[in-house]
Amino acid sequence: MTIVGIGIRNVWRNKTRALLTVLGGSVAIIAFVLLRTVLWAWNIGVEYAAKDRLATRHRVSMIMPLPKRYVEIVRETPGITQTTWANWFGGKDPKHPDEFFATMAVDPDTFFDVYTEMSIPPDQKAAWRADRRGAIVGDVLARKLGVKPGDKYTLQGTIFPGDWEFTIDGIYLATAKSVDRSQFIFHWSLLNETLPERQRDLVGWIISRTDNPSRSADLSASIDKVFDEKDVQTTTMSERAMNNSFMAMFSAILTALDFVSIIILLIMMLILGNTIAMGVRERTREYGVLRALGFSPGHVRTFVMGEALTVSVLAGVVGVGLAYPIVQLGMGRWIEENLGGFFPYFRMSPGTAAVGVLLSIALGTVSAIIPAIQASKLTIVDSLRRVG
Amino acid sequence: MDTSTEKADRAASNEKNKSTNGKPIVELRGVTKVFWRGKEELRVLDGINLEIDEGSFEALMGPSGSGKSTLLNLIAGLDRVSSGTARVANRDLTTLGDSDLAKFRAQTVGFIFQAYNLMPVLTARENVELPLLLTKLSGAERKKRALTALRVVGLEDRTEHYPRQLSGGQEQRVAIARAIVNDPTIIVADEPTGDLDRKSADDILNLLERLNRDFKKTILMVTHDPAAAERATVQRRLDKGVLV
Repeated sequence: MTIVGIGIRNVWRNKTRALLTVLGGSVAIIAFVLLRTVLWAWNIGVEYAAKDRLATRHRVSMIMPLPKRYVEIVRETPGITQTTWANWFGGKDPKHPDEFFATMAVDPDTFFDVYTEMSIPPDQKAAWRADRRGAIVGDVLARKLGVKPGDKYTLQGTIFPGDWEFTIDGIYLATAKSVDRSQFIFHWSLLNETLPERQRDLVGWIISRTDNPSRSADLSASIDKVFDEKDVQTTTMSERAMNNSFMAMFSAILTALDFVSIIILLIMMLILGNTIAMGVRERTREYGVLRALGFSPGHVRTFVMGEALTVSVLAGVVGVGLAYPIVQLGMGRWIEENLGGFFPYFRMSPGTAAVGVLLSIALGTVSAIIPAIQASKLTIVDSLRRVG
Repeated sequence: MDTSTEKADRAASNEKNKSTNGKPIVELRGVTKVFWRGKEELRVLDGINLEIDEGSFEALMGPSGSGKSTLLNLIAGLDRVSSGTARVANRDLTTLGDSDLAKFRAQTVGFIFQAYNLMPVLTARENVELPLLLTKLSGAERKKRALTALRVVGLEDRTEHYPRQLSGGQEQRVAIARAIVNDPTIIVADEPTGDLDRKSADDILNLLERLNRDFKKTILMVTHDPAAAERATVQRRLDKGVLV
C-alpha cells in the first residue's frame, strides 16, 4: 500500500464516471493521433526524400514546361551521375473519374535509374522499354484498378484529351515509405509524338542524381546559372527542398490541423480537470482525516495527482490502443489506395503513439494542479466539517 | 472588562481544572479561540486554563456550540490557538510550524471521530496501516502492527473487510485501532459513540476504558452522553467557551 496506490484506488470509487472520463480522454487522444498522423504522413515526402536527388523546373512555375534539350545540358554538368525527365499527364480512370492517381509520361530508359526506390522485376522493365504503348503501375493502384501484367487499360486524358490505351507491362513495388504506390507511368515519346509540333520536345521537370549530396546546393546553383542567359530560366533544388516548397502551398491547412489538435487537447484537459475537481470535492473530508492523522499538504497533493495520473495514463493507452487498429488496419490502407499521391504511407508512427500517451499524462498532471493545490490548502478543521 | 464576579468564577474554575498529581500531559494557559463571521468576532474559547494528567481518562461535556470540539482540536494540534499557550506531551504547540505540527499529530495523537472516517477503498487492515505510511517501517512490519492493533480491538477476523462490510460499531473499532497503531501518547475522541446504538456504544466505551487501564493511554473524550461521561475518571463541563 502506497500513497499513490490509494489515489489510484480512489479513481474507481465512481466507476461510471471514471470509465466515461477515460473514454472521453481516449476519444480526444484518438482524434489527436489521427490528426498528427495526417501531418506526419503529409511530411513524410520531405522526411524520406532522397538527399542526392535534384529537381529542375521552370523558374516561374512548376506547371510551365522546359525545353527537352535542357536534359542533356543538366546531364553534362559535373557532379551529376543520372538524369531523367517527366511530364504530368493528368489521366483518369474513365469508370471512376473522381478518383485521383498520378499519371506521368517518363523516359523508360532512365526513369528507374534515378528512382531506385521503385523496384520492378527486370523482365517486366525490359518488356516495358520495348513496348511503346506499355505502362507500369504501382502495386496499390494495380490492386485498386484490378489490373495485372498483360492487361489492357484505357486512360482518359484531361490535359491531353482522348482515350489512351495501354498494355500493363509491369508493377512496381516501393522500397521506401515516401514512394507513391499509386502512380501510372508510360513512355514520354508516345505523348510527345501525339502532340502538335509547337508543343513537342517539352518536359515538365528534370530529375538528376548527384555524386555528393552535401554539394546539392552548389550543384543546383551551377545548373541554374547555365540557364540564366537562356530563353527559359530554371529553378533547381534538392528533392527535399522541392517537397518542402510543395508543402508550403498547404501551410494554412497544416496550421489549421495543428490548431485543431491543440483544441482537442485542451478539451481533454478540461474533461480531466472537471473529473478530478469533482473527486477532490467529494473527498475533502477524507483529506481532512488524512491531515489529522499527520499527513502533510504535500501528501494530499500526491493523492490527487495519483488519481489524475491514473485517469490520464488509461486515457492515453486506451486512446492510442484504439487508434492503432483504426489507422493501421482501416483508414491507413484506404488512404494509401485512394489518396496515395498525397499520403503514400499513412501509418501511425511510434513517435506519434508515444506523443499521444505522454501528452495525455502531461495534460492529466496539469489539469490536476489546481484541484491538488486547493485540496492541500484547506484547513483540517474546515475539511472535517465538509459533508462529502 | 470582566466584572469582579466573573474573575472570581474564572479563578475558581482554573483551580478546579489543575492537575491533581503534578504530571500534566496537557497544559493550556489563557487559551482563546476566535473565529470571524464576516466582521463579527466569535469567541469560541475564552481564557481556558486546563491541565490533564498523564494516564487519565477525561470526559468533556457541554451544550452544542460550547467549544468542546474546538478545544479538542487545539489539544490534538488540528487547529491553532488565537492567544494563550498550549503544551501537549512537552511540546509547545503555539511555536510549532505546520510541518512539525503534522509530525506531532502523527507521533503523539490518536484521533477518533464520531463518523469513523475510514477510507472506503481500503480494508480494515489497510485503514489501520494508514498512519504507519508516515513511518520508515517496512510493509511487512506495518502489516504486523496493524493486525496487532486490530487484535486489541477484537477485530482479528475482519481484517480484510471493507468499511461497507462492517457494522457501525465495528467501523468505530477499526478507527480506534487506527488511532492506537502508532502508540500515541494521547487519544482524543470526538463523540466516539454519537452514531452508535447503546450496545455498540458500551463496547466502544469498554474498549476505551481498557486502553486507558491496560495500555496507560491518556484519553480525552468529548461527549453529549452522560452515560459515556460516567465511564471517564474525570468529567469537565464547558459552557460558552469557559470551563465551569
